[in-house]
Amino acid sequence: MTAPVAIRCEDLGKRFDDAWVLRGVDLEVRRGEVLGVIGPGGHGKSVLLKCLAGLLTPDAGRVLVDGEDLARLGPLGLARVREQYGYVFQNYALFDFMSVRDNVAFPLRQQAHLPDAEIDARVAARLAEVGLAHALDLLPRELSGGMKKRVGLARATVGDPAIALYDDPSAGLDPVTSSKIFQLIARMHARRPDAATVVVSHDVDRMRAICDRYVMLERGRVVFVGAESALGDAPEVVAAFFGGAERAPTGGG
Amino acid sequence: MNGALEATLRAVGGPLVAVGRHVFDIYSVFAQVVTALLKGAVRWREVFRQAYLIGNRSLFFITVTLGFLGLISVYQVASQIQRILPDFTMMGPAFIQLMWREFAPTITGLMVATRVGSGIAAEIGSMVVTEQVDALRMCNADPVRYLIVPRTIASAVMLVMLTIYAVLVATLAGMALADVVFDVSPSTFVSLQLVSPRDVALGLVKAFSYGFWIPIVAGQAGLAASGGSAGVGWATTRAVVSSSFAVILLDFIISGIGYAVFNL
Repeated sequence: MTAPVAIRCEDLGKRFDDAWVLRGVDLEVRRGEVLGVIGPGGHGKSVLLKCLAGLLTPDAGRVLVDGEDLARLGPLGLARVREQYGYVFQNYALFDFMSVRDNVAFPLRQQAHLPDAEIDARVAARLAEVGLAHALDLLPRELSGGMKKRVGLARATVGDPAIALYDDPSAGLDPVTSSKIFQLIARMHARRPDAATVVVSHDVDRMRAICDRYVMLERGRVVFVGAESALGDAPEVVAAFFGGAERAPTGGG
Repeated sequence: MNGALEATLRAVGGPLVAVGRHVFDIYSVFAQVVTALLKGAVRWREVFRQAYLIGNRSLFFITVTLGFLGLISVYQVASQIQRILPDFTMMGPAFIQLMWREFAPTITGLMVATRVGSGIAAEIGSMVVTEQVDALRMCNADPVRYLIVPRTIASAVMLVMLTIYAVLVATLAGMALADVVFDVSPSTFVSLQLVSPRDVALGLVKAFSYGFWIPIVAGQAGLAASGGSAGVGWATTRAVVSSSFAVILLDFIISGIGYAVFNL
């Protein structure tokens, strides 16, 4: 039986001024799957992720979460839907005026309405899981890039979200730290196997270990959707991207 | 001909549309702030922290600016009086009335608009370009309610207090100069015979209004920031210009209403 669809994009389009960054994107993210979004830099992957989270409003088409159009939801409806989400931002997006502990506790304090003792326990456990038990009281400016990424990951997943979005989680990290980050993503997904997880990355090799399906964007259009086993039917440009061939498209739009 | 007309309409209409959008965006933030206040959704601990920061940041600035304003104003006025009718009896009362009604709230408002308004825009703008505001949204924390509402309450309260302080500083500076240079005794200078409670109320209403609007205007500029550090710089400049303009506009409106409705 096919898993239920958590997020559906229908003819999604997004433009900035006169430039269309996304065009005609049709896509489904199912419960329980890890969907990898790949493609050259500057071709709309992060914009797609922000549209999936309702952070950007589509200029064409729509994004449905459990059948509800995000653009038609009022503030209360959007807040209700967002309680399902965890989002790891490309540039960490840690609150620089809060300690690591408060950063990770923030979504629980805003959404979960739990007793302080339980929030503290959950935060400590999640930070221990990402290897940062010693960093509870540090400020973001005192952390390395890899540590910031792990704090961002802990903050996004501390509530075990039903929809987890990761925007280039290994960007700017060394290979060892990148591997650790992808292992953590796999662990977070295993913790909540019914979660719909979307990972944007260029790191195809590491994505192979965690992704069930892929969508490839080129110039804002979907050029491939499917499992890696379906690459045989994919356009040459997709196979080239997976293989890292020289003829694969490059960033810059 | 049609081409020239279209070009003219574009040249005139484009900036007008941009100004209209800017005003609507500010109004939108204002409406969200008022809604949050009516719902009582206020982070009071943050209000006290911001009040301390706003007051503390501005105190030295206000002391110097209003101190010099008091010195310069009294010197200029006294010089004119000396040439026309060498009677300084009413100089102090008129000076204090003018300070309450106009100079203390407005100059303090302009100082806060530049110093605090730029800080608010830079802080919120940096949070926007580093995606922290998006992170707030994803955690269901409304950026206006979370970032701007505490600053609005703190700024409104602190601007009232700073205005009272500004009157005191300017009066003391003016009194000292009048005594030393023009031989006007402090007891003659510091007279409240021209200052009515309505003058004080007018000044404090102005101060409260400036303090309420500065974080809204500056916060909206910060929220509209985009495109990295250049965007933050642009937002900061826009915040200073817009909030200073807002102070002048509010001064005109409140003075007009005070005169037309309350005969102040």
